[in-house]
Amino acid sequence: MTQMAGTGLTTTASGNPDRPYDDVDLSTRAFWSTDMYEREKSFAVLRGRDTITWHPPFEDQLIEDPADHGFWAVTKYDDLVEATKRHDDFLSGPGILMENLPVEFVESAQSIIGMDPPRHTKLRRLVAAAFTPKQMRRIDEMIQRNARDAVTNLLEKAQANGGQADFVAECAELMPMNNINDMLGVPDGDRQRAMHEMKVATSWSDPEMAGDTKEEVLGNLFRAIAYCHELAGGLADERRGNPTADLISGLANAEVDGERLTAHEIGSFFVLLTVAGNDTTRQSTAHALQALADFPEQRAWLLEDLEGRMPSAVEELIRWATPIITFRRTASRDTELGGREVTRGDKLVMFYSSANRDERRIDRPHELDFSRSPNPHITFGGGGIHHCLGNQLARAQLRAILTELLTQAPEIRPTAAPELTPSNFFNIVKRQQCAPRP
Amino acid sequence: MKINVDLNRCTGHGFCEGLAEDIFEVGQDGVAHLLDETPGEDRRDVVEEAVAMCPTKALSLHEEG
Repeated sequence: MTQMAGTGLTTTASGNPDRPYDDVDLSTRAFWSTDMYEREKSFAVLRGRDTITWHPPFEDQLIEDPADHGFWAVTKYDDLVEATKRHDDFLSGPGILMENLPVEFVESAQSIIGMDPPRHTKLRRLVAAAFTPKQMRRIDEMIQRNARDAVTNLLEKAQANGGQADFVAECAELMPMNNINDMLGVPDGDRQRAMHEMKVATSWSDPEMAGDTKEEVLGNLFRAIAYCHELAGGLADERRGNPTADLISGLANAEVDGERLTAHEIGSFFVLLTVAGNDTTRQSTAHALQALADFPEQRAWLLEDLEGRMPSAVEELIRWATPIITFRRTASRDTELGGREVTRGDKLVMFYSSANRDERRIDRPHELDFSRSPNPHITFGGGGIHHCLGNQLARAQLRAILTELLTQAPEIRPTAAPELTPSNFFNIVKRQQCAPRP
Repeated sequence: MKINVDLNRCTGHGFCEGLAEDIFEVGQDGVAHLLDETPGEDRRDVVEEAVAMCPTKALSLHEEG
């Protein structure tokens, strides 16, 4: 197995064969093919254990490792926050996904999210200025325009199609795609292809997107990543001679410790920003449509004062949707978490969806409450060094798209159950038929 | 009170800027800069919140004198 530089830890080995497993299933495809409400029943049981719990590795993985004996499930809010903040004890470098994927794939896709200090510290600074609260206000006009265009597109497509349209394809995915690519500096045409390829790259559990056999899936994942590296490389070469204010220019011309980033580092950063920029806000927007339908009294309350109540409604929808379900860490030493002994090399998987419904920290967690205050959700992370770079962007985008949607189509509703992609990483709505003006 | 930013730790998350834009600002270099190194006592609560919230623990507060 591949060793991670400096840590001596492998990317996939974990635990030992003698540790008994908890009997709640988090490791089968069947479990991860259910929806978030069904899965929550299992997480509620695990939170009741009042500690972290040990589980077998995910079944039938793309990369099998006989030395991979499982993972600790971190399901309690307090344990997740603690693990997040102890970044010296619980590393990101050996991998951040619950499943084992080829190390070449992972290293081409995760950049700073799969790094530890000191490299993480230096690279994150290269992009930080583009995501600050003040910068969000500077690009507010762009966000409003992209939100308006996405809703207008949805209404036009529905009108041309008997009043119905796919909310994901015609609205939810368009706004974040255009915003992140306007920021990155990716031209129209290329941005649609990059978004599609990253859907493939994050859908390794979905035969429709990535293929049926392991060989097909691996081939498709690598082709998707290769496309984005090539796109990023070409754009970076252009911007080296003619820098603009976009993020690719910043990465192409940046120096870290007196050296330019390599093409591979730029490609990997580009993949991370493309996935994080597209796939998260898309999911939150899609889940918001269902939540508004499931809780009509909350929708009515919001509509009474859209502007004033939108900020707290967005926080609650972000908690409710939890678009990223898991991140993994790996113990750098023998230590303790939640009263259990953790051994060096053990994998820990943090379940954000579970922590966001932890009764100890979230009052009435199974109720959608747009007036919730305070709302200490951990959708963007438990507060440590890897806290979501784009959290301000996500919030601004959701405020913009929901305001636009509920102004232009206040009666919008889903007309079929959402089509989900099985995943233990993203909470993916693949398609969602809707009627904007029923 | 005097604020200090540890530039070995800060990565420009901007929590501090979000809490007090007149005191903190993330620059193009991706780290927080102090617009006011020694804010008045009336700002103590918000500065202490920024110190506590900082995801990289880069902020600290020192009493003068």
